[in-house]
Amino acid sequence: MVFYVVGLGLSDEYDITLKGLEAVKSCERIYLEAYTSILMVDKERLEKLYGHEVILADRDMVESDSDTILKDADKVNVAFLVVGDPFGATTHTDLVLRARSQNIEVKTIHNASVMNAIGCCGLQLYNYGQTVSIVFFTETWRPDSFYPKIKANRDIDLHTLCLLDIKVKEQTIENLIKGNKIFEPPRYMTINQCVEQLLEVEEKRGENVYNKNTIGVGLARVGCEDQQIVAGTFEELLTYDFGKPLHSFVIPGKMHFLEADVLKEYAINKETFEKYADISQH
Amino acid sequence: MVNFTIDEVHDLMKKKRNIRNMSVIAHVDHGKSTISDSLVSKAGIIASEKAGDQRYMDTRPDEQMRGITIKSTAISMFFEMEEENLHLVKEETDGKEFLINLIDSPGHVDFSSEVTAALRVTDGALVVVDCIEGVSVQTETVLRQALTEYIKPVVIVNKVDRALLELQQTKEDLYQSLCRTIENLNITISTYQSKALGDVQIVPTEGTIAFGSGLQAWAFTLLDISRLYAKKFGIPVDKMMKRLWGDHYFNHRTKKWTTKSDDGKGGQLERAFCMFALDPIYRLFDTIMKGDKKQIMTLVDKLGIQLKSDEAGLEGKHLLKTVMRKFLPAADALLEMMVIHLPSPVVAQKYRVDNLYEGPGDDACATAIRNCDPNGPLMVYVSKMVPTSDKGRFYAFGRVFSGTIRAGLKVRIQGPNYVPGKKDDLFVKNVQRTVLMMGRTVEPIEDVPCGNLVGLVGLDQYLLKSGTLSTDENAYNLRVMKFSVSPVVQVSVRPKNPSDLPKLVEGLKRLSKSDPCVQVTTNDAGEHIVAGAGELHLEICLKDLEEDHAQIPIIKMDPIVTYRETVTTESDRVCLSKSPNKHNRIFMKALPLAEELSNDIEAATEGKCSPRDDVKVRARYLAETYEWDVMEARKIWAFAPNSSGPNVLVDCTKAVQYLNEIKDSCIAGFEWASKEGVLCDENMRGVRFNILDVTLHADSIHRGGGQIIPTLRRVCYASQLTAKPTLQEPIFLCEITCPASAMGGVYTVLNQRRGRVTDDEVRPGTDMHVIKGYLPIAESFGFTESLRAETGGQAFPNCLFDHWEVMEGEIDSPNANKLQEIVRSIRKRKGLAEEVPSLDKFFDKL
Repeated sequence: MVFYVVGLGLSDEYDITLKGLEAVKSCERIYLEAYTSILMVDKERLEKLYGHEVILADRDMVESDSDTILKDADKVNVAFLVVGDPFGATTHTDLVLRARSQNIEVKTIHNASVMNAIGCCGLQLYNYGQTVSIVFFTETWRPDSFYPKIKANRDIDLHTLCLLDIKVKEQTIENLIKGNKIFEPPRYMTINQCVEQLLEVEEKRGENVYNKNTIGVGLARVGCEDQQIVAGTFEELLTYDFGKPLHSFVIPGKMHFLEADVLKEYAINKETFEKYADISQH
Repeated sequence: MVNFTIDEVHDLMKKKRNIRNMSVIAHVDHGKSTISDSLVSKAGIIASEKAGDQRYMDTRPDEQMRGITIKSTAISMFFEMEEENLHLVKEETDGKEFLINLIDSPGHVDFSSEVTAALRVTDGALVVVDCIEGVSVQTETVLRQALTEYIKPVVIVNKVDRALLELQQTKEDLYQSLCRTIENLNITISTYQSKALGDVQIVPTEGTIAFGSGLQAWAFTLLDISRLYAKKFGIPVDKMMKRLWGDHYFNHRTKKWTTKSDDGKGGQLERAFCMFALDPIYRLFDTIMKGDKKQIMTLVDKLGIQLKSDEAGLEGKHLLKTVMRKFLPAADALLEMMVIHLPSPVVAQKYRVDNLYEGPGDDACATAIRNCDPNGPLMVYVSKMVPTSDKGRFYAFGRVFSGTIRAGLKVRIQGPNYVPGKKDDLFVKNVQRTVLMMGRTVEPIEDVPCGNLVGLVGLDQYLLKSGTLSTDENAYNLRVMKFSVSPVVQVSVRPKNPSDLPKLVEGLKRLSKSDPCVQVTTNDAGEHIVAGAGELHLEICLKDLEEDHAQIPIIKMDPIVTYRETVTTESDRVCLSKSPNKHNRIFMKALPLAEELSNDIEAATEGKCSPRDDVKVRARYLAETYEWDVMEARKIWAFAPNSSGPNVLVDCTKAVQYLNEIKDSCIAGFEWASKEGVLCDENMRGVRFNILDVTLHADSIHRGGGQIIPTLRRVCYASQLTAKPTLQEPIFLCEITCPASAMGGVYTVLNQRRGRVTDDEVRPGTDMHVIKGYLPIAESFGFTESLRAETGGQAFPNCLFDHWEVMEGEIDSPNANKLQEIVRSIRKRKGLAEEVPSLDKFFDKL
């Protein structure tokens, strides 16, 4: 039968497409991938809508135990639900490859992802460069490989979408080594933390890719009722309270005047925006 | 009876130039504790006529009963030097009164961690050598330990009375055997002495060696003898000394000194040492043992020895002891030797600081230690925990290297894992009380300035075994002690009554504190494991656990040994493992390290591939000594386990992007793999892992620790499995002394236990054989007993861990072998699946 990989969209249970809902309802088992992103509602709401039990699939299950998920998928329909779009920010290509190798038919049902919804801030999707992830810095691990990528984008006037780290069901290294299934409480990076880390790396590498006066755009809970879009200098964004997760961040490159007009509407301080924004009049 | 007061000691503590901190070290049964007795008797704590019988420093009942020292014990003593001899002291002095802090330490190899702890807090060592047995294995070991800690040695050749009474050696024979002993000592010394310490070879004419008998409480150095004769001959003492050793003869007929032994008339001259030093002793022994009272009294008078009337009434050995003690009092000779030749803290700390302090050599703490500055920042090294009379509480015993410690002082307690600037393994607490350790008792003291030993109350909850105390926020640690023994024998314990488990756990905690070397762990199966240096060490630890620390009946399992996992060839293919998300791939091969290199890494000697060495220095050493490629040697990422073990992770990749971002994760995975090898979860040893190539996801979020750490571990396991893995088992070096008649039995017992003899020699002048051989520790349980049974109690073994030996056989051989048997039993014991996991669990296909 069919292994459905279904995008759930960004906000709540009603973001699923009609096609997706039909597919899910035809399935024997429904898995919800729950570690690369989160939905704003509990799984019970999903179950109520689908009229079927939903199994939470954590990282361990998806990465190391895919056989369980794919079990009998040649005989019954199985759905694998992914927040956003299945091939958006997170890709589950490995799972798809495994299914194909077992001769299981795979069908993908798309949905909105933060990768396209980000267009809501006014910056055109055509003008984005490489997307980067900003991970939580630890005392010893402070990866800054996003820095040259942002630089490359800005050098050719493109915007950069920064996806912010989320840690759901993560073990500490100590627990990982000891094999203890003790998981840390979930953490979601805020825009404030992101800007702080960005500035730290700029200070360290000093290649003048951006600075505290660079304009950035903070987006919280994109696609939800209470979504927030705020533009401002890095310095202003460092302390602006965006509320609950999930947060995303955009560093605009050179803006088309129309892009700038939209974005200005969201500015904390229109004067600083006008002063520091890099706007093209052509 | 104590002939000095605590106030006097306290005053002396401030005169840092007049302090000598020293340990007494030796092979087991060479007479350390008896020698210590004669020293303590001088301080007036035990009656001098009992010196030699009391073993004052053996504070525990079982020590007294077994006649061996188990724990090291410290005592402070007061010594007054003759004014006229002060000029002999090799450094500046501050008055004629000296404070001597002495630590008596165990000689049995199983307790050599106690020796390490003692050496760390002292600056000099009195090495005791048995006149008849000569330099033994453990003498060499302790001497080596002392020299690597920059401890200056002086020597006492003990039990000279036995050479006279039992062996009836002639004077010349005795001289020759003493020469051999000194030569052997100097061979060891010259091997391990360092530039910082300078030349510390033992030279009789310098007075750095004494001869005597601890049991009879007499001893002399050539200085003592020279003093007796210098006036008579009218030559200066130092000139006289030079003539008392080697080929110097005095011709009584011509009244001339010569370097030839013939007297010019065809007769033989007696060597000056024999004539002047040994002859009076031989005469006294001879006359007194013959028992002619009149002759005895004439001789005693002639030698200027005053006997009290009750003493004169003694007979035989008792009289001999009394006379000898008065003639050549051991304490005076030894204390004088130590004061003259051993360094004060002021001198010693100058050259020891670089070896002791982990931080930069020019910061405030290093400077204060170097100058032994009582007003500088406090730096104390706590070397061991000493049980108090209050059950479960401990004194933290250590050495003040700089500053002054007093009750109420707020100190930073830095454990072995403390890193400056971080908060791990750090406590800030007040010292409740400071005490002076006096053998069996302690004396309260208000404060202790640098250069002294101290006991501290109120810190035991915050220190596991050892650590650094400081008042300076920027202080680094004083270097953690390196033990010469490792806990290779272990046993699992449980309470007889299951409800006593909490008491057992508490007791194990205390046991771990009270012994520098014992390791207490819990394995995955939930068993409590106690690991010690040998069977005897374990026995003592478990007895302590049962009787003192836990005070509950305990069930002990059979002792087991720890093994190491290693590889014997290079991996037969390039191994690949993919990360859980399949976006990252690591390619690796394993290969064995040279055995000598593993030893070098374990020894952690500076300049010889120590993990602390500068990368370039290390690379040059590896290239020159072990023919490594210099570029690869520079890219050693880590040593493991514990960042210092004898396994290395080498980056052999070419131009991989983002590699640095995953370095920490790789090291963590390597640490994990080397701690629990693939065969049976034992530590690895002597394995080099080369990371050959890495492909990574473009975005850091997909190559975090959770992805890389397990992957690196898996690829290490795959590499291990494809490189002919095997175990290394620990091997004892045994030295067995026995008469020729018992040799057959010794050989039989060794053969039964997979042992092999490497050396068999007759001790000169006796029919005693000294057999040296190797014995797998796994076969050593009950060795002493079966040896006793086979030889009618005539053979005495002395075993010490010597090396790791690669086991024969292949793990995947179709024919059952010993290796497979051991691996299976370890896996079973640890609650793992009995079969070694197969390669496909770790090896991913492209």
